[in-house]
Amino acid sequence: MGTPTARIRNFSIIAHIDHGKSTLADRLLEATGTVAPREMTEQVLDTMDLERERGITIKAQAVRMPYRAADGLDYELNLIDTPGHVDFAYEVSRALAACEGALLVVDASQGIEAQTLANVYKAMELNLEIVPVINKIDLPQAEPERVAEEVESVIGIPRERCLLVSARTGQGVAAVLEAVVTQLPAPVGDDNLPLRALIFDCKYDAYRGVVVYVRVFEGRLGAGTQIRMMAGQGTFTVDEVGCFRPGMEEVPELAAGEVGYLIASIRNVRDSKVGDTITEAQRPATRALPGYRQASPMVWAGLFPVDSDDYPDLKEALDRLQLNDAALVFEPETSAALGFGFRCGFLGLLHMEIVQERLEREFDLELITTAPSVAYRVNLRDGQQIEIDNPDQLPDPSQVISIEEPRVKLEVVTPREYLGGIMELCQERRGEFRHLEYQVGDRALLTYDLPLGEIIHDFYDQLKSRSRGYASMDYELAGYRAEQLVKLDVLVAGNSVDALSTIVHRGQAQGQGKRLVRRMKEVIPRQLFEVALQAAVGGKVVARETIPALRKDVLAKCYGGDITRKRKLLEKQREGKQRMKRVGSVEIPQEAFMAVLTIDR
Amino acid sequence: MTAEDCPAPPRSLYVHLPFCRRRCAYCDFAIAVSGPDLQDRYLDALLGELHSVSRSAAAVEPLQTVHLGGGTPSLLGPERLERLIEAVAAGFSLAEGCEVTLEANPEEVTPAVAREWARIGITRASLGIQSLSDPTLRWLGRGHDAELGLSALGWLRESGIPQVSCDLIFAIPGQSTAAFLDGLDRVLRLQPDHLSCYELTLEPGTTTRRLVDSGRYPPVAEAVALEQLRSARARLLAAGLIRYEVSNYSRPGCESRHNLNYWRGGTYLALGAGAHGFLGRPAASALGLPEGGGVGVRYWHYRDAATYVRVLGQGSSGIRDSEELDDSQLRLERLALGLRLTEGVEVAGAQLLAASRRLAAHGWLEVEGERVRATPEGMEILDRLTLELIAA
Repeated sequence: MGTPTARIRNFSIIAHIDHGKSTLADRLLEATGTVAPREMTEQVLDTMDLERERGITIKAQAVRMPYRAADGLDYELNLIDTPGHVDFAYEVSRALAACEGALLVVDASQGIEAQTLANVYKAMELNLEIVPVINKIDLPQAEPERVAEEVESVIGIPRERCLLVSARTGQGVAAVLEAVVTQLPAPVGDDNLPLRALIFDCKYDAYRGVVVYVRVFEGRLGAGTQIRMMAGQGTFTVDEVGCFRPGMEEVPELAAGEVGYLIASIRNVRDSKVGDTITEAQRPATRALPGYRQASPMVWAGLFPVDSDDYPDLKEALDRLQLNDAALVFEPETSAALGFGFRCGFLGLLHMEIVQERLEREFDLELITTAPSVAYRVNLRDGQQIEIDNPDQLPDPSQVISIEEPRVKLEVVTPREYLGGIMELCQERRGEFRHLEYQVGDRALLTYDLPLGEIIHDFYDQLKSRSRGYASMDYELAGYRAEQLVKLDVLVAGNSVDALSTIVHRGQAQGQGKRLVRRMKEVIPRQLFEVALQAAVGGKVVARETIPALRKDVLAKCYGGDITRKRKLLEKQREGKQRMKRVGSVEIPQEAFMAVLTIDR
Repeated sequence: MTAEDCPAPPRSLYVHLPFCRRRCAYCDFAIAVSGPDLQDRYLDALLGELHSVSRSAAAVEPLQTVHLGGGTPSLLGPERLERLIEAVAAGFSLAEGCEVTLEANPEEVTPAVAREWARIGITRASLGIQSLSDPTLRWLGRGHDAELGLSALGWLRESGIPQVSCDLIFAIPGQSTAAFLDGLDRVLRLQPDHLSCYELTLEPGTTTRRLVDSGRYPPVAEAVALEQLRSARARLLAAGLIRYEVSNYSRPGCESRHNLNYWRGGTYLALGAGAHGFLGRPAASALGLPEGGGVGVRYWHYRDAATYVRVLGQGSSGIRDSEELDDSQLRLERLALGLRLTEGVEVAGAQLLAASRRLAAHGWLEVEGERVRATPEGMEILDRLTLELIAA
């Protein structure tokens, strides 16, 4: 039979990039014998190349470790690894919700960093017990006492509870395992109640269909159980349940308090939504677990192949990525400037970058991405309301009564000293102040109501820079509101370029137009002709720049020795030229279509 | 490209003599600053290579041109030069009226030396005057002054060498347009047969590039460089010279035949450190260059003079590497090189002709049958026009 509930511990590790989360996880896997030393690769839990390279976790992981504690009893420790970026804030919160505790790993020379703090606050909201671990104490510049003091003043955990560890040498790792057993609470939950299991992630396996990562809170889950998704509504029969050690290993059942996976012939990750509650079809629970949120795309952008022949490959690649990425949505789009492509919806800009990078890397595609946009609701004179996620779809102004933009409730947690700068940032982005609350330690919780479109570009970066990295944010959609919005068009040599249109607030149109054409002037190389760049609202030009014609471009000397070099240069230039998009007679490089993202406010 | 276009046997020879008294501030060539000891050992190695190449089947046609380039070939002194030229004449057969060019710096020219050069068979001297402003010459790191530059040109004119050319550089940071044009006028008064008039290129790794990149000297504005180019062209034409290449002007009939061969896509042999050669497949095979599917072969020697001497001593050919060119690469090169010439280049293919006509409509090119040539306006943006055509 399974481990008694009292001897299960479910925990995650919260840490800043480079503070040693992966190394500590590796040591715990070794110390518990879950992974034999000869099977160790670095960052066992980060399986994607992209994750190893960027040092970030994109998908959650869960691994079960058997552990015989100092009290002589056998425990089952479930480590749930979480992603770490605001785009995936919701996924993080669900992974944390599957735990009773967390290890907070802090670098002994760096101290607590912002991202860490954000997740600590999240864990505290979910009532997780936190065990601080000060790592890298073997380094000469380590200052464990200072960091312990910081933990106490910022988070409010007494400094003497900090564990001193070097994950690299293994020093103190045994004490961490003991602390997990003695300091973290066991799960509570009745095996006999109707099933309630939280989905905290899922992945698509080409052979087995969707593998759903679950934490059982009440009831039991085993092969043959008829399950129902409480929000998603689908009904499935479970084929297999199991746990990760760290490979998938079948077990007879998952009881209340346990973490593992289930396979139930689910063919689409959309049928297994993160945050949803799984219950029994025959004996359903009356209430779902709290905190479910529909993960919907916040940001939309066009993805076009540089080489139009790659269109079918792009479609296939998106299909395959979508199998494993419930948040990615896409539909065909046609642009006069860029040809055939796809309009894609993303959770945020990092999600967009990751998808773009995976398409380019794993599927060897070269892409042009257009400026990201949010979805607007447009009220038409004929009484209809349409939703557009592409500025180019905005109907003629004569048919439009009003345009509504999505707004978010933004929550920022920050040390108090940065409040002023952050509030200033929110005001600049058309934010409306809602609430300010001082919390334990040094932190403050700031709530604003802002247009979503104002936070998707560089808001997160700005927030980080204005708080020296310490503030963290989370947001959720909070309805729509009609605003004075206009479509800002860009004309290149007199031709409107659909893929460059954006929707902006009327009051910002001129400033944004100026910055946009100025930036485009920097990225579009000089052509044989003078090229006018104009930003226009409803046919009225609000900003203009001119790229002067190329006047001189000739190599002075060309003799025998230079010819190989010259030919190679020409071949390279030809390649670059063929990658550019032509609008009328003007050649536009890929980065011009993203110009709006790289302008300074 | 048809079989008849397959590169013909070489009738030109380039010989690299890498020695210099010092490296000029703008130079990124394969040169060696060294004493007479290396010069002798280098010459021995070079003559060794010459013997083996001249005995091979790569050298079947009499040579029409020989170019002694550098470096500073004039540093070698008349005795060594004579030895070299005799070896060339003995190893290869020289065609009637063969052009034998020597690159020279003013520092080595005296009336007596110039007469010696004429005697040993130099038919064309190319003098590196570069500028007639002393501060500018110093900035460029040259070892002569304006007066010596002009004197040297005069001595060469009187030496009996049939053709004299000189090099001038424009668009030099710190030099005014007036100063440049004044220098040009002073050179033109001495009626050179040929003049190469270059814009200064700030090559990576050179002193001039560093001086400009570091902000100590402002780069020359594009408009200023253009003004100097246009004014120079006007004065050169007014002096009765014709522009036959982007940067080269001559009295009719006094074009550099050696360089014309490069620009027309012709083949040539090369000897010496850093020297590049270009051969058709049969000649390349005769030199033992690797076989592949290519129609033409470009090859080059070890760039460092001491290395070159060493490997030849070990029995190597001195050739560092080579690349084979297929038809499309050859066509691309011929187009890019031929467009540099005022006579233009024959292009093949409807697409290329259509693209040429589009550019001709703006006055940058002229199209006559299948021949395409750049206009003076087109010459100013020639690299871009070339790109437009090759990407067509």
